[in-house]
Amino acid sequence: MADDYLIEVDDCIKRYGGVVALKGVSLRVRKGSVHGLLGENGAGKSTLVKIIAGIVQATSGTMRFNGEEIVDADVKAMEEKGVFLVTQEPMIVEPMTVADNLMLGRWPARSGFVRDRHMMALATSFLEEANLDPRRLASTLSVVEKRKLNILRALHSGGKLIILDEPTTALTMADKHQLFTFMKQLRAQSVSFLFISHYNEEILEICDEVSVLRDGQMIGQGQVVSHLDSSALSEMVIGRDVHLFKRVTDEAKGDVVWTLRDVRASGLSVDRLDIRKGEIIGFAGLPGSGAKELGRAIYGLMPSARGFLDESGVAHALPRDPAEALRTGIAFLSEDRLRDGIIAIQSIAENMTLSSLPAVSRFGWVSRSAERQLVEKFWRLFAVKAASHAAPLGSLSGGNQQKVLLSRLVATEPRLVILNEPTRGIDVGVKEEVHRLVDDLSHRGVSVIIITSDIEEMLRIVDRVALFVDGRISAIEPAHGLTKEDVFEMAYSASDRSVSASHQPLH
Amino acid sequence: MNTKTSVMPTVAVAPGAVAKNAGASPSVQLLLKYVVWIWLVGLVIVFGLLNKFFFTTSNLQNILTQATVLGLLGLAASLPLLVGEIDLSIAGNMGISSAIGALAILQLHMPTFLGVIVGVGAATLIGFFNGLCITRLRMVSLIETLGMMIILQGGLLAITQGATITDFTDAYTWVGQTTVGGWPVMPLVLFVGFIGMAVLLRRTVFGRKLYATGGNAAAAHVAGIRVNKVKIVAFTLSGFIAGIAGYFLASWQMAITSDQGEGFLLYSIAAPIIGGVSVFGGRGDTWGILGGVLLLTVIHVGLAVVNVPSFYVDMIGGFLIFIAVAVDAIRVGMGGTR
Repeated sequence: MADDYLIEVDDCIKRYGGVVALKGVSLRVRKGSVHGLLGENGAGKSTLVKIIAGIVQATSGTMRFNGEEIVDADVKAMEEKGVFLVTQEPMIVEPMTVADNLMLGRWPARSGFVRDRHMMALATSFLEEANLDPRRLASTLSVVEKRKLNILRALHSGGKLIILDEPTTALTMADKHQLFTFMKQLRAQSVSFLFISHYNEEILEICDEVSVLRDGQMIGQGQVVSHLDSSALSEMVIGRDVHLFKRVTDEAKGDVVWTLRDVRASGLSVDRLDIRKGEIIGFAGLPGSGAKELGRAIYGLMPSARGFLDESGVAHALPRDPAEALRTGIAFLSEDRLRDGIIAIQSIAENMTLSSLPAVSRFGWVSRSAERQLVEKFWRLFAVKAASHAAPLGSLSGGNQQKVLLSRLVATEPRLVILNEPTRGIDVGVKEEVHRLVDDLSHRGVSVIIITSDIEEMLRIVDRVALFVDGRISAIEPAHGLTKEDVFEMAYSASDRSVSASHQPLH
Repeated sequence: MNTKTSVMPTVAVAPGAVAKNAGASPSVQLLLKYVVWIWLVGLVIVFGLLNKFFFTTSNLQNILTQATVLGLLGLAASLPLLVGEIDLSIAGNMGISSAIGALAILQLHMPTFLGVIVGVGAATLIGFFNGLCITRLRMVSLIETLGMMIILQGGLLAITQGATITDFTDAYTWVGQTTVGGWPVMPLVLFVGFIGMAVLLRRTVFGRKLYATGGNAAAAHVAGIRVNKVKIVAFTLSGFIAGIAGYFLASWQMAITSDQGEGFLLYSIAAPIIGGVSVFGGRGDTWGILGGVLLLTVIHVGLAVVNVPSFYVDMIGGFLIFIAVAVDAIRVGMGGTR
């Protein structure tokens, strides 16, 4: 039945100059369903949703919304029909209230004056179910509340199809769950979602159907999710069998090189942690449990932290800033590439050598040949895909940006590496590459700390897991034999929040 | 943990924005990158057609001499801009530091060279102080340096008591007045200054740190760059260059008025921006700054040469600057990089 579909795209072709981004793609999204859209970076996902949202026009092809043929519609026209694209960056005006943001630009007004009381009343009734106070300042909202507000804004403007572009970026597990519950609630009210994600698990959890794009072509359109599993999804995305990397752990290896002692900061209290040479240790824990905080403290990003990090028995105070940490042989990967990782407007080469300028310079002068050598070495080692060394880093895909950041980190020849969400927002294929690179690093004697909310990934690549509860390490277990469920069990049961949290589904 | 969203202007350089420029061909991008030079050549031709005198050697010398002070000041303004800050006090700094140096010579009877060093030293200290305020005290550079500008302008008025300082020693005015084979020596300083800056930005570790700090200070910090130190050095160096510019202006004019330098403020900020230096930091190069300086100087001199009545000079000059900035905005919109 054709009228089951809210949006129908047929034979959509999009050319950018000589590049064909979409090669005759079809997509159908049912009413009141969550439809997943998967694909590697550059597969054409963004182009397709931009066409649906009216941001760019297709070169050829047809589109029907609610059975009605759409011709030459721009963003405004599509929004009037009820199609909204909600991007990763929440578009929230922070100093304004939730109600102001909800009706941004469409405030109820009389002769130019906003009718505040009326607006509050409208917002209060609209937001009742979503459990958001319209009077709160948007700046006080959490990340997930901001995402929800963005979706609500689209709904308030008459949204029927909400396109979510990687809405779970930077969300914790609990937040993710909250967002998904909210989406299911709306789905029951026959709102449709087109959901873009890099994570198979998310697709399997929230979506009813999924479509996979590869290289501008639709590989699987409208596949029923309940018939699929994670490896089937990965195979569709990359087009070949993915062998998930699994580290071969050898527990008896290596001497203890690094010892953390008496680390104290607000909300952090770690008495002792030994890390072996060439060991990969995972820091796991709920948000605020101290896992991320300890990682930052070791790298000098928490200037208020006090404590010691001994190397081979020699006592050292924790570094005061990253510059000192790097000199001590410690390197760090940020969890948020755009915020404090890449320098988007600068070249790949400049980004790569940024932390190892002393190695490519003499007396304050940058040696071009030394720099080129270093860049070429890592370019090959990490298989960076880009036009040239001089291309601005911001123009690369997420996966390639991450490779450049990893190059920057490895180029400092560190002895201890802290990786924060190393595979966030990158393709399945690149993820496995990153895992192998980290494994290689450890075999060369580098100790590695991995902090990630993707516990399944963590268990595949670490030797031991340190579990954080309320700012302390509550347990350290070999990863071998642990399951995701075990980790959650420990994280929750040891915590005071166990009562409310034990009912949360895992991940 | 991640609840605080970034206030950095990183969104302004979101990947999409950069990706767009894949459309413009390399030659178009190169053209856009140096659009200020095209604009400059165009204006030179127009002024030359309006008045033959514009193409004479003496006028060329005049332009280069005039461009020296503005050029040095443009360099001084660029350093804070490159790290994503701004310094409005450089013109005031130029004025008061030259007066301090001159008074040390004239009233404290210091040797000329020592007086000049005292003046430049004072300017350097003022720049250093600005840097400290902006980094250690986290003052907003726009307002901190605005306050500093007013203090320095007022200070100049106070120490000169409203009078103009003249009667310099010959040694003091030598640089501003000497010609070699009919050519003034001042422009030599301009070119030394620009070559020095180009080397600093392109070839040194400090240049890398400047661009990284301006491009994304948070990322630079995580990458192990001491961002505050870089900013302090940028402001200090900026003050030093402003001090040199102050000495040259006084030496050339053979006078220090009680509002010395004030007219240079907006032009010194405008020149680098016209030349492609971004007010958000991290973008801009020496060629662009030089182009911006020469463009403003040509507009200034050209309007005088073609006998535009003085009542209209400012308005037309402002209009030409306006167009230059608009052209630059189009350039950035089309995705040109530094």
